[in-house]
Amino acid sequence: MKIPLRDDEIAYLSGRRGTVALVRTLGQSFFLDKEEEEIVVFTDDDDLLVASTFEVGEKARRGLKCTLFLIREMNSPLIVLRKGHPASSRLKTVVSVGERTRIRCDVQPGTHPEQDVLCGTRDLEGVEILSAHGGAEVKNFAGEVMTEKLL
Amino acid sequence: MCTVGGGPEIGDVESIASKGYICQDCGNKFKGMGRKPRCPSCQSRDVKPAE
Repeated sequence: MKIPLRDDEIAYLSGRRGTVALVRTLGQSFFLDKEEEEIVVFTDDDDLLVASTFEVGEKARRGLKCTLFLIREMNSPLIVLRKGHPASSRLKTVVSVGERTRIRCDVQPGTHPEQDVLCGTRDLEGVEILSAHGGAEVKNFAGEVMTEKLL
Repeated sequence: MCTVGGGPEIGDVESIASKGYICQDCGNKFKGMGRKPRCPSCQSRDVKPAE
């Protein structure tokens, strides 16, 4: 399934128990900030920012939109928590960036920098999101797709 | 790359394979990852791996 995405649009993939949202990175750089250093993440024009949450409905879509807006439009840095930080279990969304993202339900929420996996609900297990010119190619997904303005 | 974020924030990234770079235009030194490095300070693409 191909999903055309304009620069100012966001797409949602809605499952029964979880929601995934995606926007294009537009070639921007993003920042991972640890206590002692900053790492810049470089992207290509057609790479994607993908966010996932274990909720559905309007609230889920608003949360994902807000997260992706903060990262891409306000260039908000990703603040790195130390391993075992108590706030980790309270975070509601997971985010990936790159040309390929696979939704897995059996990975621990956290950072998987050498992989292309993103935590998701069981009903979205196996969904694969690939960057494509002007949008995304989504595999193994037969649910509802919704697109709206990000900006 | 996968991250966790509510704010957004993320979890443990101890094993991120970043490389050091130096910008040939403004001299900024930074760490980065990805195929097309760009200086985060002046946006120049003229960057080289740091020694």
